[in-house]
Amino acid sequence: MADVAYHEPETLERALALLGATEGARCIAGGQTLVAMLNARLVEPAALVSLARIPGLGRIAGEADGTLRIGATATHAVVAESAAIARDFPLIAETARLIAHPPIRAFGTIGGAVAHGDPASDYPAALVASDAVIEIASLEGRRNVPAAAFFVDYLTTALDPGEIVSAVIVPHPPAGARGHFLKFSRVDGDYATLSVAAMLAVRNGTCAHIAVALGAAGPVPVRDREAERALIGKPPTREAIAALAEALAAKSDPVDDVRGSSAYRKGLIPGLVARALAAIAN
Amino acid sequence: MPDVTLTVNGERERLAVDATETLLDALRARLGLNGTKLGCNQGVCGSCTVLIDGTPGRACLTLAASCGGRDIRTIEGSATGGKPSVVQQAFVETGAVQCGYCTPGMILTAEALLKRQRKPSTDDIRHALSGNLCRCSGYAKIVDAVRLASERMPA
Repeated sequence: MADVAYHEPETLERALALLGATEGARCIAGGQTLVAMLNARLVEPAALVSLARIPGLGRIAGEADGTLRIGATATHAVVAESAAIARDFPLIAETARLIAHPPIRAFGTIGGAVAHGDPASDYPAALVASDAVIEIASLEGRRNVPAAAFFVDYLTTALDPGEIVSAVIVPHPPAGARGHFLKFSRVDGDYATLSVAAMLAVRNGTCAHIAVALGAAGPVPVRDREAERALIGKPPTREAIAALAEALAAKSDPVDDVRGSSAYRKGLIPGLVARALAAIAN
Repeated sequence: MPDVTLTVNGERERLAVDATETLLDALRARLGLNGTKLGCNQGVCGSCTVLIDGTPGRACLTLAASCGGRDIRTIEGSATGGKPSVVQQAFVETGAVQCGYCTPGMILTAEALLKRQRKPSTDDIRHALSGNLCRCSGYAKIVDAVRLASERMPA
C-alpha cells in the first residue's frame, strides 16, 4: 500500500477528475469509517481523494422554499449543533446528536455516512423518514436520488463509479409534523440494535402525516408507505400504530450479530415504534 | 509518499508519510511520541485521542496525510516545564489512574472540555468522556478528577 496516492483537491470538479483517473480510487472525508476499514484491511484503495479541503462543500443552507441543504462534508457535530436545524428539522438534529461519540461526530460527515450505506448507521432511516433526497455529483453534472431509492443493499448505494455525494436535501416537514429519532443500543455511542425515525402530524385528532423508517432492521431502511397511508385521516390509536408496526416487522429482515439476534430485533419493533410516535404525540 | 507539515505540541514537523498511514502511527513511529496509545484501532476505545486544532479526535481514524497545517497536541504536550497540567495533577491526587492506558486520552478530552466549559456538570463530564473507555472501569475517580480540576480552574 506504500505507493497509494493521496490527493487534496480544492474543487469538487477536480475531485471528480481525480476519482475518475485511477481505478480503485476512493473518496475520503472525515475518515471515521474509511480509516477504520483501512486499519482492518477491509479496503485497499488505489488512491485516496480527500474532500476535506473543498471550500463550501460542507455548507448548510436553508432554501427559500423551506428546504434544507446539507453539504456533504458537514460534520455530525455541526448538524447536531445547528440552531436552525434543531428548530425546523428536529429529526435530523436528534439523529446527528446520537451518532457515536463526540470525537467521532467532530470529524465524521453526513456525505460519508450516506455514501457508506450502512443500514445500522443512524442517518439512513432518518433521511428516508424525512423524504430526503441525495444529491450526487459526477463529471456529467448533478442528479438527485430519493433516499429511499439511494440505499440499495448492505453497504451498497445508487452511487455509480466516479460519482460523489455532494449534498443531502431535506424537504421542510409537512405542516404540523414533528419528528423524533429513537435509538436503542445497550452501550452508549454504539451502533443501534434498532432505531426508529418517525414523523407525525396530528390534526383534529387524526393523522395528517405519518412516516416511520426503521434502522438496523434489514439491508436498507424499512418503511411501509401503504401501512402509513392506512392511518391518514384516522386517530393514531394504539391499535392503529400496532398495525403499522406489524407491517414494518413483516418487511424487516435484521441480521444476527453481537448487538442482537434477528428475532430479538424484530421483537423490539412494536414497542419502539409505539414509543417513538408517543414521544411526538405528547 | 505525501509530504505533510504540521505542528505537534508546538513544534513544526515535516513528515513524509504513507497515504494510508494514521496520525497515530506517525506520532508513535516517526516522532517517538508513545504517550498516544494504540487500543482498538477502530475509533471505539478512545485511547488514541489527541487534540486536533483543539478538538478531541481519534488519531487512529485520522490520516497523517490529512493533517497539513493542523495543530496537534498529545499528552506529551500537557505538562509545562515538567509541571503537570491542572488536569494531570488532579488525576494524580484523585487516584484516577489504574493501568494508565486510557489516561492520555482521558486527560486530553478533559482538558478540551474544561477549556470550552470551565464549570461542567457531572453529566457534562460523563458525556464528554463517553467516547473514552477505561477497561479497569475506574470511571468514578476519573470523573472526580475532572471535577477537581474544574474547581481549580480560574472562574
